[in-house]
Amino acid sequence: MASRRRMLLKVIILGDSGVGKTSLMNQYVSKKFSNQYKATIGADFLTKEIQFEDRLFTLQIWDTAGQERFQSLGVAFYRGADCCVLVYDVNVAKSFDNLNNWREEFLIQASPSDPENFPFVVLGNKIDIDGGNSRVVSEKKAKAWCASKGNIPYFETSAKEGFNVEAAFQCIAKNALKNEPEEEIYLPDTIDVAGGNRQQRSSTGCEC
Amino acid sequence: MKGLASAPGDYVYFKSQVPLHKISIGSKQWRYYDFGPKSVPPLICLPGIAGTADVYYKQIMSLSLKGYRVISLDLPRVWNHLEWVHAFEKFLDTMNVHHVHLYGTSLGGFLAQIFAQYRPRRVKSLVLSNTFLNTEKFSASMPWSPVVGWTPSFLLKRYILTGIRDGPQEPFIADSVDFVVGQVETLSRDDLSSRLTLNAAAASVGPLLLSDSLVTIMDTNDYCAIPQSLKDQVSERYPGARRATMKSGGDFPFLSRPDEVNLYLQQLHLRRVGVEPKQDQISGTSKDGNAGSLYENEDDNPQEGHGSSGSHFESHEPQSSSNAEGSHDNNGSENDDGPPKDQVSFDLPESDHDPQASGSETCLLTIISISAMASGIILLPEQVFSSIHFMIQLNLGALYTAKTLKV
Repeated sequence: MASRRRMLLKVIILGDSGVGKTSLMNQYVSKKFSNQYKATIGADFLTKEIQFEDRLFTLQIWDTAGQERFQSLGVAFYRGADCCVLVYDVNVAKSFDNLNNWREEFLIQASPSDPENFPFVVLGNKIDIDGGNSRVVSEKKAKAWCASKGNIPYFETSAKEGFNVEAAFQCIAKNALKNEPEEEIYLPDTIDVAGGNRQQRSSTGCEC
Repeated sequence: MKGLASAPGDYVYFKSQVPLHKISIGSKQWRYYDFGPKSVPPLICLPGIAGTADVYYKQIMSLSLKGYRVISLDLPRVWNHLEWVHAFEKFLDTMNVHHVHLYGTSLGGFLAQIFAQYRPRRVKSLVLSNTFLNTEKFSASMPWSPVVGWTPSFLLKRYILTGIRDGPQEPFIADSVDFVVGQVETLSRDDLSSRLTLNAAAASVGPLLLSDSLVTIMDTNDYCAIPQSLKDQVSERYPGARRATMKSGGDFPFLSRPDEVNLYLQQLHLRRVGVEPKQDQISGTSKDGNAGSLYENEDDNPQEGHGSSGSHFESHEPQSSSNAEGSHDNNGSENDDGPPKDQVSFDLPESDHDPQASGSETCLLTIISISAMASGIILLPEQVFSSIHFMIQLNLGALYTAKTLKV
């Protein structure tokens, strides 16, 4: 039996309290939705096996508590993230305004090697509410913000109705995969005492 | 003790704060740490072949600060799996612990499952890390297992250490390997041959009564001594278990990725299986400052503001003494702290904690942690010993042998 290790992709969902982070995750992983609001305490995660280009991956989706007092989860939580999902509620202007803070927070905590090109995905959730009549953040405004931050992919979703959730997470997985190097091999920083007769090894490229 | 000079700083600190217990129960010697509020059901850490109770010191430090009780032990010298079940059960009886949460890595994970299989009522949850369901593969690769009892110690050590991958490694992983290699050096020939015998004796884990939802599988995804196919079998056996995979960490993630492991253990596993930490007994700032808010107690004691620096904690001796007296302890309740059995000897700080002297009156051990990482001052009722304590703080007291208490 071939037991090839599955690559692990770590995704972190951030956003204000009550925008529907947990619901989005549950909808995607287990196709379930509950109207009952239950605040996430600290953090939690779900895993889902996904297939992409004939390879199996494990998507580890981390859900966080949006409340102020839970915000400092520590570096361990953010470490090794491959994609960060920023969620806001299209009916709450404040949750949209805070996207910038969440993005900054993530970049500080996770300190990715290439912050400019780190994959984010923005989701505008709860578009089902009141048939869209209570909406305060327009799609145009959201897209403009995403464009200004380096063309972040944007999706409008409804965790309740499962609208666009699958598509959004497919994009998330794809971007996460792009971020993950093919195989992590640790190469120590060495000083070539032999006098530079060897080609300098670089960990950025892959030999395939 | 000789290794302390070159040991990592947080390990030196750990040794100065957490007493090592050594007891014998029947013919078995137990060496263990037991730290955190005694009223909380403990998380018991079971190391692999190359591990000792000490390899989990980062978990003991971090989780006890959050109000959890952690017990970490050396595997006893047993020679088959049923003997393990009986010996471990006696140990738990002696500790007056009924329900346990087991965290086992490698051989320790296997033994945790075996115990859960034979004593389903006692095991409330399992965290299985880089482990396996049966020993077939190991017995096949160790055809000399019948003569393990005759093999010299250095060969056994070499055999155990060959399982650890060499080659260039990331510094944290390299440090974790160094630490474990240092621990292997402390093991006796009997320890080593007992572990190898357990690892190679034909046995497999039968069906568990424990629900999958109470199992967390915490594997590292880079590499480890346990073949991937065996780890996959574990995941297949518990399909409903949580898969808390770590991207990297090697064989000893509890040392190389402590903050991730601690996050999984407390934030995800223990909270999920319903272990309530006792925050009112211990509070303190954590080493890195932010981990203090890692665990947020939701509604059990909101009055406890987290991260209050310079906070103190009272030891649990008073409480545990009343517990021991009130409980149906089959060994009597002469001593208030450690297990009430044959020979009890303590290392380091609590060595002067004389059960006779403290007797019925409560012995208050107040530890004021001024800065949790750098220093702790231990104030004890008996002034006589305070000077020794300061010396221990300064690592000068390392050679002071622990007093053996005959009960």
